Amino acid sequence: MAPALVLARGVSSWLVRRAAQAGATLAVVLVLLFVLMRIAPGDPLTRITDRPLSPTEIAVLRARYSLDQPLSRQFASYLGGALRGDFGTSIEYGRPVAALIAERLPATLLLGGAVLLVNFTLGVWLGALQATRRDTLLDRSLTALSLTGHAMPSFWLGLVLAWLVGVRWRLLPAAGMENPLLDPSAGMPARAADVMAHLALPALTLCVVSLATTMRYQRRAMIEVLRFPYIATARAKGVPERQVRRHHAWRNALFPVLTLFGLWLPILVTGTVFVESVFAWPGLGSLAAEAVGARDYPLLMGTAALSATLVVVGGILTDLAYAVLDPRVRVAA
Amino acid sequence: MIARRVAPVCAVVCALAIGHASAQARPPGTVVIVTGQYPGSPVPTAMEGPQSTTANQELSDQLFLRLANLGPDRRTADERSFQPALARKWERLDSLTLAIELDPRARWQDGRPVVANDVVFTFARARNPKIAPKLANLLRHLAEVTADGDRRVIFRFSRAYPEQFYDIVFHTSPLPSHRLGAPTDEIPRDFIANPVGNGPYRITRAVPGQFIELTANPDFLFGAPTVSRVLFRFATDAEARMNLLLSDEADAMETILGLANIRRVATASHLRAITLPSSTMGYLLFNQRDRADPSRPHPILGDPVVRRAIRLSLDRQAIVRATFDRFADVPYGPVSQLLWIRAGSPKAERQNLAEARRLFASRGWTDSDSDGVLDRDGVPLALALSYPLTSEVRRQASLLVQEQLRRAGVRIELARLEGAVWNERRSRGDFDIDFSSALQDPTPSGLTQGWSCGGGTNVAKYCNPAVDSLFERAISDPAGGAPAWQAALRQIEADAPAVFMYAPLNIYPVSRRLRDVRLRPESAWLQLWSWHAG
Repeated sequence: MAPALVLARGVSSWLVRRAAQAGATLAVVLVLLFVLMRIAPGDPLTRITDRPLSPTEIAVLRARYSLDQPLSRQFASYLGGALRGDFGTSIEYGRPVAALIAERLPATLLLGGAVLLVNFTLGVWLGALQATRRDTLLDRSLTALSLTGHAMPSFWLGLVLAWLVGVRWRLLPAAGMENPLLDPSAGMPARAADVMAHLALPALTLCVVSLATTMRYQRRAMIEVLRFPYIATARAKGVPERQVRRHHAWRNALFPVLTLFGLWLPILVTGTVFVESVFAWPGLGSLAAEAVGARDYPLLMGTAALSATLVVVGGILTDLAYAVLDPRVRVAA
Repeated sequence: MIARRVAPVCAVVCALAIGHASAQARPPGTVVIVTGQYPGSPVPTAMEGPQSTTANQELSDQLFLRLANLGPDRRTADERSFQPALARKWERLDSLTLAIELDPRARWQDGRPVVANDVVFTFARARNPKIAPKLANLLRHLAEVTADGDRRVIFRFSRAYPEQFYDIVFHTSPLPSHRLGAPTDEIPRDFIANPVGNGPYRITRAVPGQFIELTANPDFLFGAPTVSRVLFRFATDAEARMNLLLSDEADAMETILGLANIRRVATASHLRAITLPSSTMGYLLFNQRDRADPSRPHPILGDPVVRRAIRLSLDRQAIVRATFDRFADVPYGPVSQLLWIRAGSPKAERQNLAEARRLFASRGWTDSDSDGVLDRDGVPLALALSYPLTSEVRRQASLLVQEQLRRAGVRIELARLEGAVWNERRSRGDFDIDFSSALQDPTPSGLTQGWSCGGGTNVAKYCNPAVDSLFERAISDPAGGAPAWQAALRQIEADAPAVFMYAPLNIYPVSRRLRDVRLRPESAWLQLWSWHAG
C-alpha cells in the first residue's frame, strides 16, 4: 500500500476517534450543564422584572415555558432538542435561542477574530523578536510593556479607553458596533470603516491585556529552540542567520503558541463579557451574562453548549495543526 | 523596524477617527435615545412576563396609540381629566357601562381605518389569561366589550368603580385585527418584528442588540411628527450609556442613576437635565412571619412596636440626601412621586432616638451586657438586611442603615445577593428585612397588590383587615377616594410593615439641540413626536 494512503487512513481513523471523544465530552458537558443550572439558586420567573409578577402570572408563564413539567421530562426534552441543535425559546427574549445566537455570533467572531489575529501575529512576531534580541533594551522594554498591559483588568482598561478616547477626545466611538446614523445605502467601504472604528477600542483593550501571554510563550519557546544543536549545525553550514531563525527555529517554536491558540478559542464566547458590556458590543459574551442574571435556562444552555463545542473544536484544531507542522506527530497518529 | 510596521496602523486609526468625527453629525429632525433594555416585543398583549418591561412599553407607545392618555394631573379616577387619543370622546351610560367613540381620522399604517372591531379583538386577547395573564388580572372587572357600529365601542363592567375608564385606556392599546388571526392565536413573529400600528412612528430598521430605527408616520392622527426619525440605541451597561451620551453620540437617555453621573451630566455643556416624578419607591420591608416556620410570627419583627422603633432609629432624610442629593424625598406610606394621592399626605416621621430606645425597652430590648447591642432573654437584636447586588443605590443606603441602627443598638448583617437569588428568597419569604424597590402604576389601586392581606406581591405577609377595608372604600368611591386613601396610608404608617425610604425623581439628560421637549412620567417619550430637533 502506498505510504500516502496509509497516512490518510491513519489520519482518518484518528479524526474519527477524536470526533467520538469530542461527542462524548460534549454529552457529559450538556448533562452537567442541565443539572448545575437546576441546582443553582434562582428562578427565571421570580427574577427582577420592572413589575413583580403575581403567583397566578408566574403559574401561567411556568406552563408556557414547560417549567412546570417534571425535571426528568424537561431533561428529555432538552437533550432531544440539543441533539437537533434546538435549545428552545429564550424566556427573556421570547425568541428561539438558535436565532439569538446566530444574531450575536458575527459580532463575537469579529471581535474575537480580530483579537486572535492581532494577538497571534503581533504576539508571535514580538516574542520571536525578543528571543533573538534577548536581554537587550528592546527585549526588556517589550517585556515591561506587555506585562504592564497584562496586569491591567480588561474592564478597567476598557472604561479608561472609552472615557479618554471616546468621550474626552472623541476620536473613536465610545460604544456600539455600528453608527446607526450611517446611511443604510452607504457602500461597503464606508460600512467596513464604520465597524472598524467601533471595533478599535474593544479590540485594543483585549489585545493589550492578552498580548503578553503570547509574547512570553513565543519568546520562551524561541529561546529554547535557538539552543538546539541543529541550529548550531545550520549556522556552521553557513545558512544565513535570517533563514536559520525563520525556517529552522521559528517553526519549531510555534508549538506552545498553538496550544495557547486552542485554549483561546472558547474565550471568543465567554472571555469578552466585561469588554462587550463596557463597549456595548452586541456579542455572545454579553448575551451569556444576561442569560445568567435572568436564569434564562434555554439561552444559558445554548451559549454554554457553544462554548463547550469551541473548547472541543479548539483541541482538535490544535492537534491537527501539530500534525501539519510536525511529521513525528503525524506518524504517531 | 517597529516604527515602520506601526506607522500604517496609526494611519488607519487616524483615518477611522476622522471618519468617526464626521459621521456623528445628526441630520435635522433626528433624535437618538439610548436605553438599557432591548425591546424585543413592543406589541400590546405580547408584553407579558419577562417581556413586561418599560422598554417594550415605551417603544409600543411610539407605535400604537392608546384610546386616551392620562391628563396632566395624572388622576386615574376621573375620566373627564383624560386626554383624547384614538378615542375622540367617551360617555358613561351607567355605573357599569362606558361607551367610547373612535376618531374617524385614525388609520393603521397600512392605510386601513381603525375600527371598533379592532378594539373588541384586542380586549378579547387582553382578557384571556392564557395569552396575557397580567392584563387579564388588571382587566378582571371588565365583563364585556362589544362593537356598536364601526366607530363606537361599549365596555361593560361587573362592578362599579371610578377607575373603569383608566383600566380600559391605560393598560393596553388596540391592535389591527385585520393583520392578525383569531384573538386566541399567538401574535406572529414577523408582526412583532415589524408591527403595523397607528402611532406617530413605525419601525423601519432593527439591528438586534444594537438599535431600532423609527420613521415618522405622515398620516398620524395628530399631524406629521416634527421629529422625523428616532433611533433607540441599546447598551446594557450604565457606563456605556453614559459614554454614548457624553460623547454626543446620543441626544437623550433614560433616567440617570447615581450622584456621580448626575454631576457628569451637569458639567457637560451640550446637555441639560429634566426631572420628572418617578414611579419608583424604595423601602425596607419587614418580614411578618418567622423565616424558619412561616406559620408563626417573626420573633422580632412580628411586633409592630419594634418595627416602629426601628423606623424611629433611622434618619431617612440624611440617607436620602447622601444617596440622591435633592432628587428624592422620604415618602409617607408606600407612595412614589407618580401617585396623585401623595398630595395632602403628612410629612414622614423624623428620627427620634430617645423615643426609639423607649419603645425598644418597653418590649424588653435593653443592652443588659453593655456590648452595644440590645438583647432580650440573652438573644441579641440582630437582623439580616438583604438587597440585590445590581442596585448601587440600595447598597449605599444599606450601609447607612446598618450604621444608624448600630447606634440604636440593632445589629444588622448585610446580605448582598445576586439578583435571581435575592428575588427567589424574597418571593418565598426567606428574609428578615428586605431592601425592596417597587415600580408603581399611576393608579393607587396598585397598592392592594403589596399591602392588602391577599395581595399578589405581599411577600412579607402584612395583613390588617382595616387597611383592606380602607382600600376597598377608596377604590369604590366615585369621588376618587382621597380621604380613604389617606386613612389607609396613616394606618400603614402606624402598623410599620416597612420603612419607606425614598421616592426619587427621574432625571433625564437631554441634548440642548432638542427643543419643546415634553416628557411624561408614565411613559417618558410619549410626546416625542411633537419635539423639535435642530
